[in-house]
Amino acid sequence: MLQAIILVIAQVTVLLTVSPFLVGLIRKVKARLQLRRGASVFQPYADLAKLFRKQPVLSTTTSWIFTVTPYIVFASTLTAGLLVPTFISQNPMNFAGNIIALVYLLALGTFFLILAGLDAGSAFGGMGSSREAIVASLTEPAMILSIFAIALTNGSTNLSTIVHKTALLDGVATDPSPQLMALASLFLVALAETGRVPIDNPATHLELTMIHEAMILEYSGRYLALLEWAASLKLAVFLSLIANVFAPWGIATTAAPAAMMIGVLVYLAKTAALATVIGMIECMFAKLRLFRVTDLLGVAFILGLLGLLFFYTLRS
Amino acid sequence: MQVLSYSGSQLVDLCSALLLLTCFAIVAQRRLSACVDLFALQSAFLVVTAALVAYLTGNQHIYIAAVLTGVIKVIIIPRVLKKVIDRLNVKRELVMYVNVPAGLLICGGLVMLAFFISEPIIPLGFLLTRDSLAIALAIVLIGFFTMIARQKAVTQLVGFLVLENGLFLGATAATYGMPLIVELGVFFDVLIATLIAGIYTNRLQDAFDSVDTNRLTVLKE
Repeated sequence: MLQAIILVIAQVTVLLTVSPFLVGLIRKVKARLQLRRGASVFQPYADLAKLFRKQPVLSTTTSWIFTVTPYIVFASTLTAGLLVPTFISQNPMNFAGNIIALVYLLALGTFFLILAGLDAGSAFGGMGSSREAIVASLTEPAMILSIFAIALTNGSTNLSTIVHKTALLDGVATDPSPQLMALASLFLVALAETGRVPIDNPATHLELTMIHEAMILEYSGRYLALLEWAASLKLAVFLSLIANVFAPWGIATTAAPAAMMIGVLVYLAKTAALATVIGMIECMFAKLRLFRVTDLLGVAFILGLLGLLFFYTLRS
Repeated sequence: MQVLSYSGSQLVDLCSALLLLTCFAIVAQRRLSACVDLFALQSAFLVVTAALVAYLTGNQHIYIAAVLTGVIKVIIIPRVLKKVIDRLNVKRELVMYVNVPAGLLICGGLVMLAFFISEPIIPLGFLLTRDSLAIALAIVLIGFFTMIARQKAVTQLVGFLVLENGLFLGATAATYGMPLIVELGVFFDVLIATLIAGIYTNRLQDAFDSVDTNRLTVLKE
């Protein structure tokens, strides 16, 4: 019992501390590839600290939804993070929910963010919300299908079981073809859900292109800090999901301190590698026009479907 | 035929799945040059698959076919197509007979069809892998579909080449490669077909595209 509590606290600490670093790393990779020096990878921590000290400004037209949203988004994303194994495969919170709960915990945050974008009544917020609703409704089927493909090939919807089983096989995927399709699908979904370049540009404040930034335009002070932190947490959740479901090498399969130390280091290395890949993608590709987003997410949907097809027609 | 190691056949499965993945990227891609790049990538995966099959079955002549695929489909044909695209005044295909999301759904349906058709065959035959034949059939169908759905000659040609990749994958996976003389003939045919289609595309561009007049005047003298 005590061990479980300690592990949960450790997981929360790891997620909260690693997530701003990942955002900083993506920005740094991007800057280096564009031959800029770029800010330090620890800049997001300083930004968060600054925002937490600032006084928030609230529009008089907003309702309670506006002030409660940052807490809901932050809490739901963090809870979703607790369901994903990070450095230890047998996650102590795994009884609380499976991979489907994870999807809808993230969707809860998105839902409230969309409401909050509309709440202030500004044109930008509403525009951001409607775009986010399009993206969210397109990513959800793709994500669910790819997740079903993973769950079926591993015979469980519980993330800890999936990761633990694969990790005990030394990370050898038991059935590579559906897994590959699910990986490709989930990666595209991750780019869309975390507002990365082919879908949304996190570096811009240009009204024609922004999605996530448009929704949180009215926020300031600690509310903005919480939303920014939640956004980086979401990135960390997706990267941990991809890293540990498809490549669980080095994750701690027991609660021994030495194994967990290695687990934390390997986790850092894997998520940093994925963040570097995302940074490179941001440099190599231009943002898609909003009406072309359906093309990309259509690919993600079909690939998720193919993962299932492989399982159902060729394995039965 | 020797019994193959389990992980070896899984590797072949994985490579065939990568071929199918690039197929969908081609279906969703509008930029002509990116389509050609994706085709080159697909052919590179095909080279790896063929080399794996050659290694696993010990059939030496598949190595030759793999090397030929590498030279012709990864290097020569993409270069020829890039040259053709350089002369065109369109860089991306905006209008198609079937739009991209609908095309993707249709291709998903085609894959489903291919899988259902080949599913009863798989336990009967002595196949190297579970998936490759089904994937090869799916790639052939998607290649057909690309030829039908696209309007530009270059992307139709890419569709034809994708179809040919599917056939080669099927031949390698199901029958451990055709006799070398047949394979040589097929490679030669594909190469010549691409060259002729390339010239044909250029003629089309010259004859019907009034936008690019300065090129037409160059041709006239």
